[in-house]
Amino acid sequence: MSESLLEMKGIERHYVMPSGTVKALDGVNLEISEGERIILLGPSGSGKSTLLNCLSALDTPTEGSYQFAGQMVPRAPEYVPRWWNRVDSLPWYAAFFFRRIVKILFFPLDYFIHSRPMAKASEKATSFRRENIGYVFQFFNLLQDLTVLENILLIQELADGRDEERAKHLLRLVGLENEMNRFPAEISGGQQQRVAIARSLAKKPRLLLGDELTGNLDSKTSDMVMEVLVKACEAEGITCVFVTHDESLTKYATRVVRIDSGQIISDKIIE
Amino acid sequence: MFGLLTKRLARSLWRSKLRLFAVILMVMVGVFAGISFASYAHTATNMYDDIYADSDEGVNLPDVWIENPSWVWDGETSESICEEIANDWPESDLVLNECEPRLILDGVMFHVNEEGDESIVPAIWHGIDEGYMDRVWIPNDDCCSGVMASAQDEIVIDVRVATGMNLDLGDTISIASGSGSMDYTVVGIGFHSNHLFFAQEGSLFPSEPGTFATGYMTAEGLENLANLSSGSSNHLLIDIEGTPQYDFQSTEDIEGESLSAVIVELNSLMQGIDDNPSLVYTRSGVDSVELLRADAETAMSTYIPVTAMIAIVAGITIFLSLQRLIQSQSREIAILRTLGIPRNAIIPAYIMMPLLIGLVGTFFGIILGKFIGAPYMSSIYEDIIGIPIILEDSDITPLILQISAISMFIVLISGLFPAIQASRLQPLKILRGHHEIRISSKGIQKITSRLPSTVGLTIRSSIRKPTRLAFTFVAVGLSMLIFGSMTLMMGTMENAVLGNVEDNQNWDAQVVVPFGGEIEVNDWAEDRGAIHESLLVFPANAEGDTRYLLTYGLDTISTDKDSMIVIDLKEGVLPSINSEIPQVLIDQGLQHFLDWQIGDKQTLMFGSISLEIEITGITQGEVSRTVYFHRQDLSPVVGIEATSVLLDLPDGVEVDNELGEISLGITQKQDLIETYESLLEQQEGFFASILSLGVIIAIIVLFNTLIINLTERDIEIATLRVLGAPINRIGAMMLGEHIAIGLVGGVLACIFTIIGTQALISSFVQWAFYLTVSLDIYVAMELIGIVLLISVMLTPIGIWRISRMDLVEKVKDLSQ
Repeated sequence: MSESLLEMKGIERHYVMPSGTVKALDGVNLEISEGERIILLGPSGSGKSTLLNCLSALDTPTEGSYQFAGQMVPRAPEYVPRWWNRVDSLPWYAAFFFRRIVKILFFPLDYFIHSRPMAKASEKATSFRRENIGYVFQFFNLLQDLTVLENILLIQELADGRDEERAKHLLRLVGLENEMNRFPAEISGGQQQRVAIARSLAKKPRLLLGDELTGNLDSKTSDMVMEVLVKACEAEGITCVFVTHDESLTKYATRVVRIDSGQIISDKIIE
Repeated sequence: MFGLLTKRLARSLWRSKLRLFAVILMVMVGVFAGISFASYAHTATNMYDDIYADSDEGVNLPDVWIENPSWVWDGETSESICEEIANDWPESDLVLNECEPRLILDGVMFHVNEEGDESIVPAIWHGIDEGYMDRVWIPNDDCCSGVMASAQDEIVIDVRVATGMNLDLGDTISIASGSGSMDYTVVGIGFHSNHLFFAQEGSLFPSEPGTFATGYMTAEGLENLANLSSGSSNHLLIDIEGTPQYDFQSTEDIEGESLSAVIVELNSLMQGIDDNPSLVYTRSGVDSVELLRADAETAMSTYIPVTAMIAIVAGITIFLSLQRLIQSQSREIAILRTLGIPRNAIIPAYIMMPLLIGLVGTFFGIILGKFIGAPYMSSIYEDIIGIPIILEDSDITPLILQISAISMFIVLISGLFPAIQASRLQPLKILRGHHEIRISSKGIQKITSRLPSTVGLTIRSSIRKPTRLAFTFVAVGLSMLIFGSMTLMMGTMENAVLGNVEDNQNWDAQVVVPFGGEIEVNDWAEDRGAIHESLLVFPANAEGDTRYLLTYGLDTISTDKDSMIVIDLKEGVLPSINSEIPQVLIDQGLQHFLDWQIGDKQTLMFGSISLEIEITGITQGEVSRTVYFHRQDLSPVVGIEATSVLLDLPDGVEVDNELGEISLGITQKQDLIETYESLLEQQEGFFASILSLGVIIAIIVLFNTLIINLTERDIEIATLRVLGAPINRIGAMMLGEHIAIGLVGGVLACIFTIIGTQALISSFVQWAFYLTVSLDIYVAMELIGIVLLISVMLTPIGIWRISRMDLVEKVKDLSQ
């Protein structure tokens, strides 16, 4: 059996809403090994995107532990303290004035005990993502002002490691070596998603995450993109976790995890 | 439906509160500044009309002055000239009302301050028997008190003299006018039309309190002081029925044709009556009257452009904000359009919003303008000019309405285009997401293709929206124009006035002397080892031109830094002495207005005497129109050896009472410098307010655009952050962009400033007041530095915004 890449234990993620506390994740235990390709399935609101966010350290679990390659993952702090949201239960005018007065009066205090540590912790989480995580979005989110090649180079440059050869190699891997000097607007949706995949692999991540990455593509293009993705991940030895509604994508997975109401309801390894 | 759409839009605007407040602030500032300036213009214009009026409350300002610049007419001659004028009054629709001889003499006032320090203050004394015209103005105000002088030893002094020298009714003052000193009792404190603008003769700047004096005594009182016979005069004041229009020096047109024709006739009449050159002029020839008129005229013609300029900057900010709003709401608009909402139902809400913003800004602008700006400007006016504001009609409501209408119109226009743009959005294109794809031009892509991707992205995304950037630069340029033009103007004025006195005048005292009085002053100087040089100053005009210029007869015309008066020669050569045709230098203002060039032979008129001159060079730095002669060339023409003596005093020698008693006035260089410094200091607060106004507007404009740029790139930045881009690298990209925008904005601000200041200067440059402006490298660096600093200072805000970005929420957006 392959080595364990990450391990989540008793992960809970709660959101305080005016209507009460919502448990987006409710005691999730998940261990992922190197080289696995996991499809995370579940209905809307089941908590699969929250789990993906916790995996990428974009979001911080309310409870539980998360280790990546044997190290604790930096916790991105709460953006607002919990009591802050509870103010919403006051009449709107009281909440409005309370928040403004607190913000004005406690601005320096807020800066040192909240904003600054939050920014520092956020940077640690960003650094963790930069070193370990690749991310593919549903709507590609390529930078329209940069060519296909430059989109990949930009991520390398921002991570302090421009490597044009690798960028070109990745483009060859996703079959876009002839499109490298074109702009995103000049290529199709499927091609754009392949560029996004190449971009996500640019810094050799250990874990690639995808949120509904074929949700914006037709089934034929989806298949083509997934084939490219599987090929690229296998070639690079990258572990993948993809969130989707689409059952047909399970054929590209080595493991399928189903989630509902914030809990894993099935975890099946595909032979 | 309109209500719901408007409510939706209002909520969207409210979400970007900071920008909303910034835009409201801009409109408010525009209206505030407009009302403040307009109130000043209104006050200045109406005040003079009230004071000069031919009524019981007014002073009945004369319409024509005839001046004898050489010396005085005796009583008999004065009366006979008036009689001849009445008998030979030119055929005209203008009817002569009165001709009144008046004696006005230069002199000095001996003053001892509270510390016991003695000073000799240059002065002008008027002999006024309470007559029909040009009365002393003693308004019913706290400033003024007392009655007109009726006895020979009584005097009314100017308010500025009373305050500057701490004098009151009943005090005794000691004065002289070339024939020994006498004591007078102060019986009144008031103003006179010739000295409402309280400046020394030939100066364009009000005198520092205590450095200049004017007083109004009976005609007999002044005759005694100057040891002149009864009825002597050197001015004839002529009143014409009604108030005829007169020709302005500031324009090429002839505004008062009838009066100009009368002036020509009176000039030739005087040639026949008196051998000495006489000067005949209208109100435009009286320095105080002309300067205050020009000031009011400039204020009147400036407040609308100032209001419009700030309103345009506000309009641009509103336009850019609304455009961004529409861009962010395009999907909602597309859905509404798809659901069948007609185009014309979209437009009103988008027009309503800027109007609402304009109304709120205008309302607060009116409140601030009426209750803070207008009183502040009035107090500045009172401080600088020194006249109490007593207005019969002080209602500025029509001005408020005018300014509000201008700003609301500009605000409406700025909202109109985005509204039309919103209604023309193509639903299909938007729902397909095509409208969001906007990339930089091919040319820019090609140029930046070899650069690192981070740099390329910075450049390309900065100029992705050229229209927005261009509008921002225009708005920043306009707002920095306020700052830059003020800085340049202050520098130019300081240089022209203070710099000229400090650097180009190497005398300690200028002693005005009566006819032949220079010999006594020279003796005084030689007794004390002082270097002396005679100076002859005489008014003249170009042939066929009624505007007066000053001819200077110098003993030494030199560019040497050690000479008494250093000539700043711009081009040409110094004139030779005793040429067949007298050689002269003219100032560049004369070159500008009369198009006189080096080598030209022109004719000057000294009253009725004409003189051909040859121009050998052009000088620079003179604010008034000037022609430099060798004194030996000028003296035989005007029949006077000297009008003053310049003294370079050795250490330990100071002007004393003996010198005061033999002179018609003493101007000390140090007093002049202190006057100018004090004036500049006095106006520092006012200038600082205007400078800050420009910088605040520039901050708001840049802030608005850079925040729009940032919010527009939220998705890009969130993508990069999710992909692990460190905040310091994104911050560096942002800093690079802001530096580039700051540099370009700064350079454009320089260009706007130099063009704007040139336009501003040329709008109030006139015969009596000529300045040139060139972009000072330090001002240029200051402008670029400020815009760059504002731009760069907004980077931390951008970084702070990114650091506060909720990536979980953004990832949701990226997946929707």
